[in-house]
Amino acid sequence: MFKYLIIGAGAAGVSAIESIRSLDPTGEITQVCDESAGYYSRPGLAYFLTGEISEDSLYPFQNNDFDRLKVQQIRTQAKRIIPLEHRVELSNGNYLTYNRLLIATGAKASSTKVPGIELEGVIKLDSLEDVHRILKHAKRRRTAVIVGGGITALELVEGFRARGLTVHYFLRGDRYWSNVLDETESHIVEHKLKEEGIQIHYQTELAEIIGKHGRVCGVLTTDGKMINCDIVGIAIGIQPKKGLGEAAGLKTERGISVNEYLNTSDPDIFAAGDVAEVYDPTIGKAILDSLWGPARRQGYIAGLNMAGKKAAYYKGIPFNVTRLAGLTTTIIGALGGRDVDADVVGIVRGDSEGWRQMPDAIVTQANFDVNRLRVLVGETHLVGALLMGDQTLSRAIHHLIVDQIDISSIREKLVNPGHLITDVIADYWAEIAPNYGRKEYAAVKS
Amino acid sequence: MNIKNWFSTEITRRQVTVEGQVVPEALRCVQCGVCSYHCPVGIDVRRHAWLGEPIKDSHCLTCGECVARCPRGVLRFEKSQLFMNTDFSGDKTLKSAPEAAENV
Repeated sequence: MFKYLIIGAGAAGVSAIESIRSLDPTGEITQVCDESAGYYSRPGLAYFLTGEISEDSLYPFQNNDFDRLKVQQIRTQAKRIIPLEHRVELSNGNYLTYNRLLIATGAKASSTKVPGIELEGVIKLDSLEDVHRILKHAKRRRTAVIVGGGITALELVEGFRARGLTVHYFLRGDRYWSNVLDETESHIVEHKLKEEGIQIHYQTELAEIIGKHGRVCGVLTTDGKMINCDIVGIAIGIQPKKGLGEAAGLKTERGISVNEYLNTSDPDIFAAGDVAEVYDPTIGKAILDSLWGPARRQGYIAGLNMAGKKAAYYKGIPFNVTRLAGLTTTIIGALGGRDVDADVVGIVRGDSEGWRQMPDAIVTQANFDVNRLRVLVGETHLVGALLMGDQTLSRAIHHLIVDQIDISSIREKLVNPGHLITDVIADYWAEIAPNYGRKEYAAVKS
Repeated sequence: MNIKNWFSTEITRRQVTVEGQVVPEALRCVQCGVCSYHCPVGIDVRRHAWLGEPIKDSHCLTCGECVARCPRGVLRFEKSQLFMNTDFSGDKTLKSAPEAAENV
């Protein structure tokens, strides 16, 4: 019998199982995962931390889902891959053989070498286990210092605040997430955090974590400030868990290198998700992605290829949705950097005072008190956009960007400050949307 | 917002929830489960989102709880076909998972 082995139980691993099963109803699928929790929503941890959902809610699949997929799950660590023998050694001493192997081990939080990093009370937000540890600490502690400039750091900040702790947030620069957000957007986020009582320390870096009896009792900043605290949260980026692939002699760079078929340098070994660095021939670059959506698609496509159906993965236009200080935020396409700027003839911004009902999609979202839109307008098409708060126009803009729809006829209006860009876009969309019907553009193209 | 606007917004909102069904955009979904957790009648909204299927469950109250709470704007109301024509023969079952994942 044909044997598929999946290492990892995240979005990529589970999607691969689904697609393999869709093509091969009888093959033997085994999944090895070293986390006892198995498959849960990693992005959901942020909402478990704030108390918006219960722990049970983190599990998208029930046991009968895995039964339906006829997959054998083994909770142990994969220790070593022996490609020549098509075998994997497990840490419980057993061996598993495979015809096709998928490495979907994901990524882990980067560490830092700051003195005191080993103290009790230093935490990260990587796994369900981390959240258990955080909640245990949060019960007895009063003050947290969070370090890091991205989304995960903010999740920790909001999580601890929601649990009633005093939170100090260290930013290395002078505003939040400056490589993606513009100045106003950063300030909106910072303002909302401050309203929640969070103390933001700009241009502040951690020099040392101070401990007492092995536990955190404060931090020292590089400019010599001392802050008393009992928790230090660090979220300064992630690293692919590529060790297994590296040790097996597979080609690796930042992650495990794969081609557009998600195939590693070994024809029977595939990689997908956060651990995979995917070469995209359409742009001639290898990309490391660390988002749920791409992981799911990569896993799905890797599974197809493993089961013998040739299918390619192209990243397409970048797309990410997140929540920043309570504001749903969608980021589409390119928003900065030198190569982008060359294409951009104007950046237009608007708020949602004049946002209208969309012709085919009507949204009754929570009322956000801040709604902002920023669109990067190119000569003939939109290059990128960021929507904060109300997402009514999000699908229209996504469509315009992904399909590179010609906007020359409205470009003047868009960049003319006399017009409300939201109206201009909504009207244009109403005009052209029927041509596109209800085509699932987002699903297919990106 | 003046009172007239408020009423018109409220009327639109009611119309939308009465005639609409909840439709997910699978691409945005991270399976966090906020939607299912807050559904007052216990519909597994997340599963629909994973499969990219509208919530056709007849128990759905179209209360909008899931739409409002989703942290990533996955869910929205869309006019249900139910009121456009009376073709009730439509597919009432969900697609198989692999078929649906192809839409991601």
